[in-house]
Amino acid sequence: MEKMDISTILASAIHESKNHIGSLLYQLETLKRQPLKPDVEKAIQKVEEGMKQLNDEWVEYLYLYRLASDGYHVHYDCFSLEEFLDDQVFALSQSAIAKNLDLSFNADRNLMGVFDERLMTAVVGTAVYNALRFAKSKIELNASLDKEYLVISIEDDGPGYNNNDHQEDELLFGSNTGLGLYFAELSATAHNVEGRTGRIEKLKSNSLGGAKLAIYIPQ
Amino acid sequence: MNKPDFSDKTALLIEDMAEARIMQKKMLNDFGFKSIDIAMKAESAIEMLRGHDYDVILSDYNLGNGKDGQQLLEEVRISHLIPNTSAYLMVTAETSIEMVMGAIEYAPDGYITKPFSQAMLQRRLLKLMNNKEKLIKVNQALDEQDYDKAIESAQAVATKHPVLDNRCQRIIGDALLCKKDYHEALAVFKTCRKSTKMPWAVFGEAKCHFYLNDFDKAEKKLRQLTLDNKYFVAAYDWLAKTLIQQGHQDTAQEVLIDAVGRSPKNLLRQIELGKLSMDIGDHIMAEMSFRRAVFLAKHSCFNEASVYLQHMASIVGLARESELTSRQLDNFQSSLKKVEQNFFDSSTTRSEAYLLEMELMSAINELKTAEQIEEVWQSDIEAGKADAPDSAAQQRIHILKSAK
Repeated sequence: MEKMDISTILASAIHESKNHIGSLLYQLETLKRQPLKPDVEKAIQKVEEGMKQLNDEWVEYLYLYRLASDGYHVHYDCFSLEEFLDDQVFALSQSAIAKNLDLSFNADRNLMGVFDERLMTAVVGTAVYNALRFAKSKIELNASLDKEYLVISIEDDGPGYNNNDHQEDELLFGSNTGLGLYFAELSATAHNVEGRTGRIEKLKSNSLGGAKLAIYIPQ
Repeated sequence: MNKPDFSDKTALLIEDMAEARIMQKKMLNDFGFKSIDIAMKAESAIEMLRGHDYDVILSDYNLGNGKDGQQLLEEVRISHLIPNTSAYLMVTAETSIEMVMGAIEYAPDGYITKPFSQAMLQRRLLKLMNNKEKLIKVNQALDEQDYDKAIESAQAVATKHPVLDNRCQRIIGDALLCKKDYHEALAVFKTCRKSTKMPWAVFGEAKCHFYLNDFDKAEKKLRQLTLDNKYFVAAYDWLAKTLIQQGHQDTAQEVLIDAVGRSPKNLLRQIELGKLSMDIGDHIMAEMSFRRAVFLAKHSCFNEASVYLQHMASIVGLARESELTSRQLDNFQSSLKKVEQNFFDSSTTRSEAYLLEMELMSAINELKTAEQIEEVWQSDIEAGKADAPDSAAQQRIHILKSAK
């Protein structure tokens, strides 16, 4: 038998699993329509939350695979940042509420940017899921324009990048080899305009005191 | 968020998977739509769209064995089965979204990725309806093909709602293209593109260059588009058209073969490849393309006699080169039969079918049969059911008779 590329196999396995999650979520919608006791309803919400996060993670891995194997074509389009960030907060608010965290966004009404919406949705989602683990009370999404670069940042009031002694930090996001950061970086650098490529920066949040991940997209 | 008011709106839901269909129907019900029609596949959706205008069309990308949601969208947009005022929301899986996004020429009004919650669908639909409401005058003008009014309205919307500026500029550029104001259109697309690679603007520029007979510039832009996005198959079509204008028929054929490989179910592209192959005398490729086209035409908006007649013509081309297999003969008969069944009301079609049949019979040395067909044709002409041969047809009859 011809030897197959293991990353391709893994990618299609993830794809399969992701589809399973999709049909389970449909089943859950049916369940949610039944009259339920409050504690059951709460449990179902948690299950739904967890499955949604799992789904989003697998989406991230699939993009990661395509980006890393040069199989992804960036699809540029123009978006209102207010609408884009509002969408992200809407999609992720349940996860934040479940952890008693405040998730909000700031963007100028008239700020427009050109980027790949699906890719940046996955990046912001990944960053927010990460911030959910460290934030004490608050996570903020910001967008602004900085010298021909659109900057989308995810900030929290947690311990920040430098003084993380959390054990789980090492797993995904803490060091330079963290999968989430690697994904954000690949997504940023996939954006390319006349020789200028995107990048990410790990910073300290001035307004919230915790970590700040800034994604620079060339305009 | 405001409670949505869909009580005066109608919806068409197109989804092949029972589970998802039931769930989405429930969601739309909860939103209070006036009516919700359901189609399980693209072919039945086309039938329903012929009879109704819907305010909202919610279609899955993946629709089983037949046409996919994107092909359905392209077909109903090209044949004006859905007005611009309707909202088309495409449901995609994360893995098929690239195919939808690559279809830049005929994009849906919005996307939603599976799995989604009821709240998410509600939000998407509301946003879509809001935008449609803001653009109502523009879309009404487009439906009336009043491009001046569309441009004027789009400029007004862009000023009032800066967020929609990009979309309005695209509408203005495309409307100018329809008006054949190519220089003005080019200026609009160039401004929109700025330094970024907005594919629709690059595509618009390429089309302007094409119409302005600047084929080298058009080729350059189109080649760039095919490199940037392998799913943007319309760029291949235009690249082939451009190459034909430049006299590179063979390269154009290669480009179309590539494009057909990427979207084998696109009828119009199969027809283009068939025509081009006929032009360069590649009857094998022509027959293959038209055979696929005949297969695809049956359930499409473009079910026209010419598809079948061209398929027959390609087999005549084959017969003149070498001996036909029995299968090829059957294919000819099968297409002929479909023409007889569906298109024989047209005297022009009837005459072309007789002529092609005569040409085939003559090519395979069935001269007696050819004569009999000519007699039938003659009596149909006398009965007013068929056209008398025009000068081109007379020429063809002369050739087939002198070839004996």
